[in-house]
Amino acid sequence: MRLLERYITKSSRFLDSLAGWGIAATMLLVVVNIILRIVFKAPIQGVYEYVGFLTAAIIGFAIAYCAIQNAHISIGFLVEKLPCKVQKIIQTASGTVILIFLVFASYQTFMYAREKAISGEVSATAHMPFYPFIIMVAIGLLMLCLVEIVKVLKGVMVK
Amino acid sequence: MTPAVIGLIGVLILLVLIALRIPIAYSMLIVGFIGFAYIVSPRSALTMVSTEIFSNFSSYTLSVIPMFVWMGFIAYYAGVGTSLYKFVYRLIGHRPGGLAMATQAACAVFGAICGSNTATAATMGAIALPEMKKYKYDDSLSTASVAAAGALGVLIPPSVIFIVYGVATEQSIGKLFIAGIVPGILLTLFYIFTIFLVVRKNPSLAPAGEKFENKEKLSALRGGLFEIILTFLISLGGLFAGYFTPTEAGAVGAGSILLITVLRKQLTWEGFKKSLRDTTRTSAMILLMVAGAMVFGRFIAVSRLPFEMANWAANLELPAFMVMAIILVIYLVLGCFIDALALILLTVPIFYPVVVNVLGYNPIWFGVIIVMVVAMGVITPPVGMNVFIIKGVAKDVPLETIFKGVWPFLAALIACITVLIIFPQLTTFLPQLITG
Repeated sequence: MRLLERYITKSSRFLDSLAGWGIAATMLLVVVNIILRIVFKAPIQGVYEYVGFLTAAIIGFAIAYCAIQNAHISIGFLVEKLPCKVQKIIQTASGTVILIFLVFASYQTFMYAREKAISGEVSATAHMPFYPFIIMVAIGLLMLCLVEIVKVLKGVMVK
Repeated sequence: MTPAVIGLIGVLILLVLIALRIPIAYSMLIVGFIGFAYIVSPRSALTMVSTEIFSNFSSYTLSVIPMFVWMGFIAYYAGVGTSLYKFVYRLIGHRPGGLAMATQAACAVFGAICGSNTATAATMGAIALPEMKKYKYDDSLSTASVAAAGALGVLIPPSVIFIVYGVATEQSIGKLFIAGIVPGILLTLFYIFTIFLVVRKNPSLAPAGEKFENKEKLSALRGGLFEIILTFLISLGGLFAGYFTPTEAGAVGAGSILLITVLRKQLTWEGFKKSLRDTTRTSAMILLMVAGAMVFGRFIAVSRLPFEMANWAANLELPAFMVMAIILVIYLVLGCFIDALALILLTVPIFYPVVVNVLGYNPIWFGVIIVMVVAMGVITPPVGMNVFIIKGVAKDVPLETIFKGVWPFLAALIACITVLIIFPQLTTFLPQLITG
C-alpha cells in the first residue's frame, strides 16, 4: 500500500512538473507571437489552437497532484462535527462515488480520443490532430482515479 | 416528474454532496452527469462529460487563468509585496491606525497584479501582521483588517473571479476588469475610513508607528511599486487599449514581472519553481471546477429550471429591485458556506437569466455586485476562507478574535455595495468610457 502510494505520488508529481514547464512554454509562445505580430507583422498561424492544446495538457497533467495536495475545494465544517466513525463512513462512501465517476470519465475520454483519431479530425488553422491532447487529459483523469483509489484504501485501512 | 423538478432535486442533491465534504468540482460533475443521464440518456451524458471536460481544459479563453495566476505567484515569491508594503507604510504608517490603512492601500495596489483574494490576504498577512504586532496594534483590528483587504485582490484587475464570471456569462473579460477598478478604489477608501473611525473611538487599538524622513520615503519607492506599475501598464494597459486578448495580457504580465524580478535579482530559482508549482495547483483546482460547473450547467439547461425561474420571477408582483434584493440575500447566505468562486459558478446558470433577461440589469454591474457580495463570505463565519488564512499566519490569535474584528469591515463592505446599487453608474461608466 505504501509502495503504491509512493509510486502514484511520484508519478503525479512528475506530471505536475511537466504541467509547470507547459505554463512557462505557453507564456513564451504567446509573448513571441505578440512580438512577431506587432514588430514583424507575421504572427504564428494557429497560435490560439496551440495555446488551447497546451492548456489542456497542463490542466490534465496537474489535476492528480492537485488532489494529492487536497487543493480541490471542499467544505468540511459540517462533517467535522460528526463522530470519527461516521466521518470515516462518509469519507469512504463519497470516495467510492468519486472513484466510480472518474473511472467512467477517464474511460470515456480515452474513447473520445479514439473517435477523434479514427475520424482524423484536426484543428482549423494549425491542422494539429486533437487526439494526442485528449489522451493527455485522459491520462490525467486516470492518474486522478489512482489517487482516489489510494485515498479510499487509506480510509478503509486506517483504524 | 417534470424536468424542472428534476433540476430542483439536482440542486438539492448537489448541496447535500457539498455538505458531505465531496470537493465542489466533483459534486457538480457527478450531479450534472447523473441529472443529464436521467433527462436525456446515459450514452449522451457520457459523451457530454468527456467533451465538456476537454473543451474547457483546451479553451483559449480559459487559458488566461494560469497566466494571471502565475503573474501573482511570481510577484509573491519575488517579495514584491514586501517592498510595496514598505513604501506605503513609510508614507502613512506614522499616523494612528496608519499601518492598518497602509495594509489596505498595499492590498489594493497588490491587487493590480494578483487576481485572488486569498493570495492577496496571505501575501499581505505575512508582511503586515508582524509590523502591526511590533507597534502593539490590537490583534483583532490587525488580523481582521488584512482578512478584509484580501477582497480588494478580486475587485481590482486582474481577477480570477471576473474571468470565470465572464466565461460563464459570455461577457467581455476586459470590460469586467475595467468595471472592477472604481468599486475596488471605493472599497479601499471605505476600509481606510472604517479604520480611521475605529481608531478615533479607541486610539489604544492602533498606536502611531515610526515617522520617516522624506528621503527615506522616496528611497522606498524603488522597490515594489515600480514593478507593479510597469507590469500593470504593459499587461492590462495593452488589454484595455485593445492590443491584447486577456490571455495575451496575462502572458505579457507574467513575462514582464518575471523579467523585472529576475533582472533585479528578486526572484530565486527556488522561488521560480515554487511559483510554477503553485500555479499548476491553483489552475487545476479552478479549471476542474469550471468544467464541473459547465457539466452541471448543461444539466440545469436541459432541465429548463432557469427558464421556469425566469418565468416565475417575471410573474412575481414585486418590483425588480426587491427580486434583486432577494437574490443578493441568497448569495450572502450561501457565501457564508460556499467558496466565492464555486458559488458564482454554481449559481450563475440559475440566476443570471433572471437578473439580466427578466429584470433587465446590466450584466457587468451584476458581476461586480455578486463578486462583492460573495467577498463578504470570505470574512464571515463559519467558512471565512481569508480568516482561516490569516489564522495560519497569526497562529497565536484565536479565530474568534479575528471574527470579532471583522464586523466594522463587513459594515464597510455592505455600505460600499449599497452605494454601488444606488449609483450603478459608478460601476458602468468606466467600461463604457474606455471600450465604448
